[in-house]
Amino acid sequence: MLELKGIYKWVNTGNHRTFLLKDVDLTVKEGEFISIMGPSGSGKSTLLNVIGMLDEFNEGEYNFLNESVHKLKEKQRSALYKQYIGFVFQAYHLIDELTVYENIETPLIYQNIKSSDRKAMVADILDRFQIVGKKDLFPTQLSGGQQQLVGIARALIANPKLLLADEPTGNLNSKQGEEIMNLFKQLNHEGMTIIQVTHSEKNAAYGSHIINLLDGMIQNN
Amino acid sequence: MIRNYFKIAVRNLWKNKGFSAINIAGLAIGLACFILIALFVMDELSYDRFYPDADRIYRVDADIKFGGNNLNLTVSSDPMGPVLKKDYPQVEEYTRIYASEGSKLVRKGNEYINEEKIVYADSTFFNIFPQKVVSGETKTALFEPNTVVISETAAKKYFSTVDAAGKTIDIDKKPFKVTAVIKDMPHNSHFHFDFIMSMKNVEYDWNNFLSHNFHTYILLKKGTDYHAFEKNFTQVLDNYVLPQAKQFMTGLNSMDDFRKSGNKLDYSLMPLTKIHLYSHRFPELEANSNIQFVYIFSAVALFILLIACINFMNLSTARSVNRAKEVGIRKVLGTGKKNLIAQFLSESALMAFISLLLALVLTYFTLPLFNNIAAKSMSAGSIFSSSFLPFLIALPVIVGLLAGLYPAFFLSRFKPIAVLKGKINAGFKKNTLRSGLVVFQFFTSIVLIIGTIIVYQQLHFIQNTNLGFTKDQVLIIDDAYALNKNDEVFKNAVLQLPGVKSGTMSGYLPVNSSRTDNTYSREAVMDPKNALSMQSWIVDYDYINTLGMKIIKGRDFSKDFGTDSNAVILNETAAKVLGYEDPVGKKLFRQSPDGKTTSYTIIGIVKDFHFESLRQNIYPLGLMLGHSNSIISFKIATANIKPLIQQIQNKWKALAPGMPFSYRFMDDAFNNMYRAEQRVEKVAITFAILAIIIACLGLFGLVTYMAEQRTKEIGVRKVLGASVPNLVAMLSKDFMKLVAIASVIAFPVAWWGMHTWLQDFAYRISIEWWVFALAAFIALLIALLTVSVQAIKAAMANPVKSLRTE
Repeated sequence: MLELKGIYKWVNTGNHRTFLLKDVDLTVKEGEFISIMGPSGSGKSTLLNVIGMLDEFNEGEYNFLNESVHKLKEKQRSALYKQYIGFVFQAYHLIDELTVYENIETPLIYQNIKSSDRKAMVADILDRFQIVGKKDLFPTQLSGGQQQLVGIARALIANPKLLLADEPTGNLNSKQGEEIMNLFKQLNHEGMTIIQVTHSEKNAAYGSHIINLLDGMIQNN
Repeated sequence: MIRNYFKIAVRNLWKNKGFSAINIAGLAIGLACFILIALFVMDELSYDRFYPDADRIYRVDADIKFGGNNLNLTVSSDPMGPVLKKDYPQVEEYTRIYASEGSKLVRKGNEYINEEKIVYADSTFFNIFPQKVVSGETKTALFEPNTVVISETAAKKYFSTVDAAGKTIDIDKKPFKVTAVIKDMPHNSHFHFDFIMSMKNVEYDWNNFLSHNFHTYILLKKGTDYHAFEKNFTQVLDNYVLPQAKQFMTGLNSMDDFRKSGNKLDYSLMPLTKIHLYSHRFPELEANSNIQFVYIFSAVALFILLIACINFMNLSTARSVNRAKEVGIRKVLGTGKKNLIAQFLSESALMAFISLLLALVLTYFTLPLFNNIAAKSMSAGSIFSSSFLPFLIALPVIVGLLAGLYPAFFLSRFKPIAVLKGKINAGFKKNTLRSGLVVFQFFTSIVLIIGTIIVYQQLHFIQNTNLGFTKDQVLIIDDAYALNKNDEVFKNAVLQLPGVKSGTMSGYLPVNSSRTDNTYSREAVMDPKNALSMQSWIVDYDYINTLGMKIIKGRDFSKDFGTDSNAVILNETAAKVLGYEDPVGKKLFRQSPDGKTTSYTIIGIVKDFHFESLRQNIYPLGLMLGHSNSIISFKIATANIKPLIQQIQNKWKALAPGMPFSYRFMDDAFNNMYRAEQRVEKVAITFAILAIIIACLGLFGLVTYMAEQRTKEIGVRKVLGASVPNLVAMLSKDFMKLVAIASVIAFPVAWWGMHTWLQDFAYRISIEWWVFALAAFIALLIALLTVSVQAIKAAMANPVKSLRTE
């Protein structure tokens, strides 16, 4: 599904160059569930952002579904991830001013999907996640687990092929975290490719594959 | 402690250079506008207040309606002053100024110079209007005939010394003894004379209650109510005016009779200190101003200051949010609420103070420009005058306090942990107050834009309206009487020059000047019912032709008819007032004061032409054939005007040696009538632009603030697939809504204001809807441009940064 080859990313501070990613090679096949682990500052989130095309890299090749991402223009790149990638954040990043329903609907608006279709799609996913009763509530009225559930629903609404999750359980208690991880597992069983960043060995074990990062380099595969 | 506050304040200003610059510049521009206008308003309000008895001095005004004609005069009859003093003990003193003779020729060596600021006055002039004496003394200065008091400027000009008392000066070829030299009258006086001659030199048909030619000022005793005193004029009318009027008009038995026939003669008092702003009468000693300007300017000044203050507050608030973290850390370190408030206040006070300094510098450099626009001669020094200074010092303190209070209290209230975690968004967003302020700013801007467009349209209309005569390419030679008997020779000599098409010698031209009315009647015996009050201009055969006027009935004066010396050509208005179906061939009578009756035959009707400003309707006018050599006008047709004028001047020098040669162009003279409006236009444009600039600075700040507030949201939306245009639209939409609301409020207000202003013009444009649409469009466009710059910046930012949680 995607392939990273010799990815380097660095920042220059004065005449000193700090590497965030160093010679990263990674291949992810469809249907895989990958957990990226590593200490703080090892480059986990940076790697995830590069995969999600939110961040650029300085050197290397990135192929996503037979497209050479490093050769694409900003606009094409954003069209690509809009269509195929969904994001889940540690801090949920729901829009406080919008209701649960509207939060989930937002990605569809930006993909120019008709209003009637949107209604049907949002209704579907609300049903599937059993949060129909909460659709008119605002994010601040929900518990953390419920907010993350909405975040995942929003990430899945446009039927992406790849789900990227940056410490999805980082702000949740263990019970809520377990529920979310079970959901991920179930999604993976249904065929969704998932890449998650996590601190917790336990959560990493849900994945089919663990990658350890240290100082921007992959330690083992 | 305070030093520490200021140190931090200075560093903060420096750290956010761009932001500070916008904030300080906005407030400085606003303050500078405000100071300039405040100076202007104070100057306007100060007129004539420097005379010690200013609050007890009144001018006797007359309102006359006679023969279908309305006159509001600043002058009254020659015996009015003396009679008031004789009969009413409340009148402490009176003085009269006689200015009807206009300019005079004053000799300097072999040369004659045309002096315009020259009048006759009673010896009591200096009792009522005391002047600073440079040499001689003013108490008895004008007792004797052939005496004159001159200004310092005149003394230097003619004697090269201010010590000119006792010397002799030739005025209109008569020797006058200079009895005193006075300082030039202050600029804020409603008259400025260089020469004041003794009233005893005036040749006049004295003791005539029916002719109004004297500016009469009276000094009332302390405690006299002038409104109550005005009632005495009924008595004066009955006792003095009526007996004289009876001699001229048959069938007139009482003033009531006079009123019943639709006529009017009323006197009133105008307080001296109100003359400059409230007197719109005729003939004024100098062009007055208008209280309207004072109101307009004051309102504009206040609005601009308000806009600037609002900005300052909005921008300060916006910026302080960035400092939430700093506040959090300070609180954790143990800083008290009071200290935090003090710190924020000192910061905004410092900023306001810097703005004030900048504003003063701005004022200093723009004052000459402003003087030019507003036709003033204010000095920068008056900014620091005693009455203005406390105000100046208070201004930044107040602005600083206002601007600093909100962020100070808002931020210092936060719980430190929440602030440190960056959770301070609640309560900052949908702020009705802030929206209201933006609406107010744009409301003001839009009103100013509409006002500017309409003033411009009206002026354009005036310049291009069909006046009934041709004002272009007409060269006017003033004071042609200096040529004496050579006037015809001069005219014919100039007509020989190439490029001169025709020429005419006349008393008046259709641009406004001081003119008098005479009374005519349809019957040989005058009675108030068939009287026609009409201006009569003495013209020659070439007048109508040279000025491009049109005869619509009858004929022009012609040398082929020997009888034209008793002929009159009326304008349409006069013909209408007379009421004849076909006036051509009918007679018109005039009774001169000595009782002789002259009859005129109407030979033609000239199409109405505007001879006063377009503010007024066209009055009845009669053109009569005769010899009046005060002005010679030439219709010219050449692109090379300079050499032509040189040639004309050479002819003048040969025929009137030593006499001043002065010329002007008719279109310039015409434009001069609308100086006040042009001034309003310039001021309106200038301040409209400034108001918009300041409002946009504020808007810019607000968008910046808003974008900062919504960084996270923007990031999330971007990750969810929002494009840059999506986000810019989202950020701009709210502001556009506010500007739209401002437009809707501004429309009726602007319409009402401009409608009122246009009422001053008898000939005016109608206000069109597209002006409003245009103004709203301009405001929206400018707002959109301002907003989008910042919105695009926010939308382009990489969401990774804004969504980082660690």
